[in-house]
Amino acid sequence: MDTAMDLVTENPAKTFVEVTEIWIPEGDRLVLSGGVYGPHDRFAEASRAETFALGEGLPGKAWAEARPVVLKAFDGSYFKRTEAARQVGLTSAVAIPIFAGRTLKAVVVVLCADDATRTGAIEVWAEADGILTLADGYYGAATHFEWVSQHTSFPRGQGLPGGVWSALTPILMRDLGSGYRFVRSESAGQAGLTTGLGLPIPVPGGATFVLTLLSAKGTPIARRFEIWDARAAKTGTRDAAKLVDGICERDGPLWDPENAGRERVATAWEGPIGRVLATGVPVAETGAAAQGYAMMVAMPIHRGGELAHVVAWYC
Amino acid sequence: MERLVVIGAGMASGRLLEHLVEADPNAYAVTLFNAEPRGNYNRIMLSPVLSGEKSYAEIVTHDDAWYARHGVTCRFGERVESIDRDRNVVVGAKGEVPYDRLVLATGSDAFIVPCPGHDLDGVIAYRDLDDTNRMIDTAPGSRAVVIGGGLLGLEAAAGLRMRGLEVTVLHLAGHLMERQLDPAAGYLLRADLERRGITVMTQAATKCIRGDGAVEAVELEDGTILPADLVVMAVGIRPSVALAKQSGLAVNKAIEVDAQMRTSDPSIFAVGECIEFAGQLFGLVAPLYDQAKVLAATLLGQDAAFTPKQLSTKLKVTGCDLFSAGDFADGPGREDIVYRDPARGIYKRLVVEDDTLVGAVMYGDTADGNWFFGLIKDGTDIAEMRETLIFGPAYQGGATADPLAAVAALPADAEICGCNGVCKGQIVTAIEGGATDLGAVRATTKASASCGTCTGLVEQVLAATLGDAFQMPTAQPVCGCTDLSHEDVRRLIKARELKSQPAVWQELGWSTPNGCHVCRPAVNFYLLADWPLDYQDDPQSRFVNERKHANIQKDGTFSVVPRMWGGITTAAELRAIADAADKYDVPTVKVTGGQRIDLLGVKGEDLPAMWADLNAAGLVSGHAYSKGLRTVKTCVGTDHCRFGTQDSTGLGIRLEKRLWGSWTPHKVKLAVSGCPRNCAEATCKDVGIVCVDSGYEIGVGGAAGMDVKEVQPLVKVATEDAAVEWTVAFVQLYREHAKYLDRPYKWLAKVGLDWVQQTLGDAAERTALVERFDLSQTIYQTDPWAELAMREKARAFAPIADLTLEAAE
Repeated sequence: MDTAMDLVTENPAKTFVEVTEIWIPEGDRLVLSGGVYGPHDRFAEASRAETFALGEGLPGKAWAEARPVVLKAFDGSYFKRTEAARQVGLTSAVAIPIFAGRTLKAVVVVLCADDATRTGAIEVWAEADGILTLADGYYGAATHFEWVSQHTSFPRGQGLPGGVWSALTPILMRDLGSGYRFVRSESAGQAGLTTGLGLPIPVPGGATFVLTLLSAKGTPIARRFEIWDARAAKTGTRDAAKLVDGICERDGPLWDPENAGRERVATAWEGPIGRVLATGVPVAETGAAAQGYAMMVAMPIHRGGELAHVVAWYC
Repeated sequence: MERLVVIGAGMASGRLLEHLVEADPNAYAVTLFNAEPRGNYNRIMLSPVLSGEKSYAEIVTHDDAWYARHGVTCRFGERVESIDRDRNVVVGAKGEVPYDRLVLATGSDAFIVPCPGHDLDGVIAYRDLDDTNRMIDTAPGSRAVVIGGGLLGLEAAAGLRMRGLEVTVLHLAGHLMERQLDPAAGYLLRADLERRGITVMTQAATKCIRGDGAVEAVELEDGTILPADLVVMAVGIRPSVALAKQSGLAVNKAIEVDAQMRTSDPSIFAVGECIEFAGQLFGLVAPLYDQAKVLAATLLGQDAAFTPKQLSTKLKVTGCDLFSAGDFADGPGREDIVYRDPARGIYKRLVVEDDTLVGAVMYGDTADGNWFFGLIKDGTDIAEMRETLIFGPAYQGGATADPLAAVAALPADAEICGCNGVCKGQIVTAIEGGATDLGAVRATTKASASCGTCTGLVEQVLAATLGDAFQMPTAQPVCGCTDLSHEDVRRLIKARELKSQPAVWQELGWSTPNGCHVCRPAVNFYLLADWPLDYQDDPQSRFVNERKHANIQKDGTFSVVPRMWGGITTAAELRAIADAADKYDVPTVKVTGGQRIDLLGVKGEDLPAMWADLNAAGLVSGHAYSKGLRTVKTCVGTDHCRFGTQDSTGLGIRLEKRLWGSWTPHKVKLAVSGCPRNCAEATCKDVGIVCVDSGYEIGVGGAAGMDVKEVQPLVKVATEDAAVEWTVAFVQLYREHAKYLDRPYKWLAKVGLDWVQQTLGDAAERTALVERFDLSQTIYQTDPWAELAMREKARAFAPIADLTLEAAE
């Protein structure tokens, strides 16, 4: 199965996401539980000193409003670490609240550095009147694609967002732009977007949100994607997850080609996926856990208050 | 080195080559022909490629480098024209290749329904990468019709929907994937697909495909026209055997092979979908791989024999979790174990015969599928674990499941009422705060106040919290299949818009796969009364009299009663009845209390012909057997009687013509008397109208059977039109609210006359009831005799019919 290796071949210097951090509730505030900051030590330092109350700053806003929040300019906004971010060149951020039923488990914040060459997309789709429309998104240099997305909507079952919405599971789509006609493919192709990961973002109150991460070759959001199914209805136990889909620049497809139930299995507390399984809280790691990549993020997705899936991306 | 030629580079021959090169890379010099211009790829993963969830690169099993590394000479994109068995040579389009051994792995072709228009541009099958790419290249927003609701068709539909198309699936059978799923699982699958925006039409037969050069629409047998830009035929496959036939090999439905995969020519072998072994064909990948392994051994001179095994099914549509294995048809000696969790969309059914598991169908929770599949394959004796079998391997050896213990063990934050988001802790707090019965818990917490399916759970929380202080209510359930009462079932069918039997079984958590002889007739009635346009009447859920449209008598013969509108008949009608009595040797002719004539002692097989004769004389069925309108008894009224105050006969005829054919919870008898002397005995009928000088006194809820009841006065109206309107509205209210098999008087005792008067007293509500009744009559006011007198139906009345499989009585 070495044929998928050519999906991405070069080793780009830049990634789309510069910083990922995990904020968890402690008492009535959000505190930093982990993060990967790359070279941005000063921003890391500023973050460690910070906590957020409900509604305060970007993480507090995602918590209070119970929805993913995109922030494309820090100056003059509610963003609390503007000065530290400016010094290291971080210009935009997306905050994703992780709820299990009504309980907030964490807020994941990803920060990006703007320039004219970084292409990718982090989108938030929201349902209104039976249709998903773009609530907001961060696209880097993919401005035409941004315009197309703003003017696109998805009924149930259609496209990556509509597929995630109706299937209630994360979905990993390949080759968004080239041979495979992603609903917005023409524009996605021009923007160099190749792989798309869509995740349902459950929130209290029944609103529907779908988050999509669209990755481009030159400045990938990730070089390895994994979707783990943790539902007891699929695995037979509360303490394990099966790797049901995934693709890796180095290892190729990560799914079981025989469809014979021989998927890789992660068990609670073993490795970063196991930690997410055991705690229901996302992780962001470097080092050995990142399997040779600079960093990895593993995010739980709950359904009906129970952990249902874990998605992980490595870059 | 011997020369091996393989025709067809599909999954079976691909696996064969893998086994060969692994076991002895130097045994054969291999030449591989493939009509497709590419090598072996994982064809069963085309569906995720179609949906965009996999790339073609990921599903290539053998790329050019693999073939080169193993010295396989590839002749891809080249069709084999013939096999010269005398010279041991395969003739390709670009030249001959000699062989010592030859393997046919020609696979199968899609079956194209030969309806008019099947050859239009835009009508495609779903077999290979080219078909897949054609679908991928269809513009988002286009309309696709997929013919065939089996595995392949549904995967195509889901993939096309992901690509942004408007998709309709047409399926000939009554539920999707009927070969792999029972109706209950088919219902859940359908709901799942509809949630994706896919339109599903069952019992849909394609008449033709319309278009001028390219496809424009699909026309169904019932006249429905579905506009379409793309038609995907996924109705089945046919083994591809032309080459084998032309070469003179033994071919039946497919190429015949022995257990070593050898054809009728000892140097020619075959594997995959193109073979027939012991009368069996193969379409799923697991047996193909087994065949490849056996053939590799045979070619290497080792002993091996192919034996077909039990198969299991999975559907590759992300988010649809189903599993099916073994045989799950109903049958004598078979027992079902059913588990349903409506809130989570879970259905599991195990079929047990002689203490072994013979079939399993699961939807929504498939975790234990492989374990059950193992039990089926191994024929394991499950007697010891029967009680907990449905809960899977995790429960074996554990304590038996006590529902109350399970509820007691639930944590405080476990959600009990999904509709209102009420957790167990809140309910317990409310109980401790003084809410000690269901009504109080409902009022305090809103738990079970919406859809009501958690009522049982809330009661269990009450019982677990209060212990003996709580008396579990004793509302009579419909039958052993459910804990819900008739009233609950009626309410939930309306509130949750349940429009099919499988929907009721699943969403209301029935403990049997398809109900029983008690609940099915009731649910069938509730569904047809509440959803006349959406629900299709199920004859198998009716009592034998209603199925046969005649009263079965104690000697097995039937009675036939034609309708006599308001008790009025003519000489011609009487002559036709007399002729029928003569022609069919009717032993007894009786005048009934309902003012009509009963022909008793008719043989079942004579019924259709007799009905046809009576129909020809203008007579229709009197529905003397049905839970529906029976008779409207009248007196002669003002036309002839000195005391008559109104045209009672005319009103009776008018009411009978309006109400006949409507199904009701129990039989309904009417009468209209022309004056208070009451010659038509109207005051002991379900609806009795007594005419007076000033108008019409309508009474309801009378009876003259085991219970004798005088009617209660419903209303007095001035005009005949008003009398008809009130009567129709009353019958409809009864149809919509009464428990099945409750006569109106029993129903009135439960709901109270006051409520009925209040409801019908509202003119708007009365009009709405009449409109709903008339709408239902557009479907149900048909003469069953006319329908059933057709010759082909006559077979169902032949005396050899197997009545053991039928539902009721």
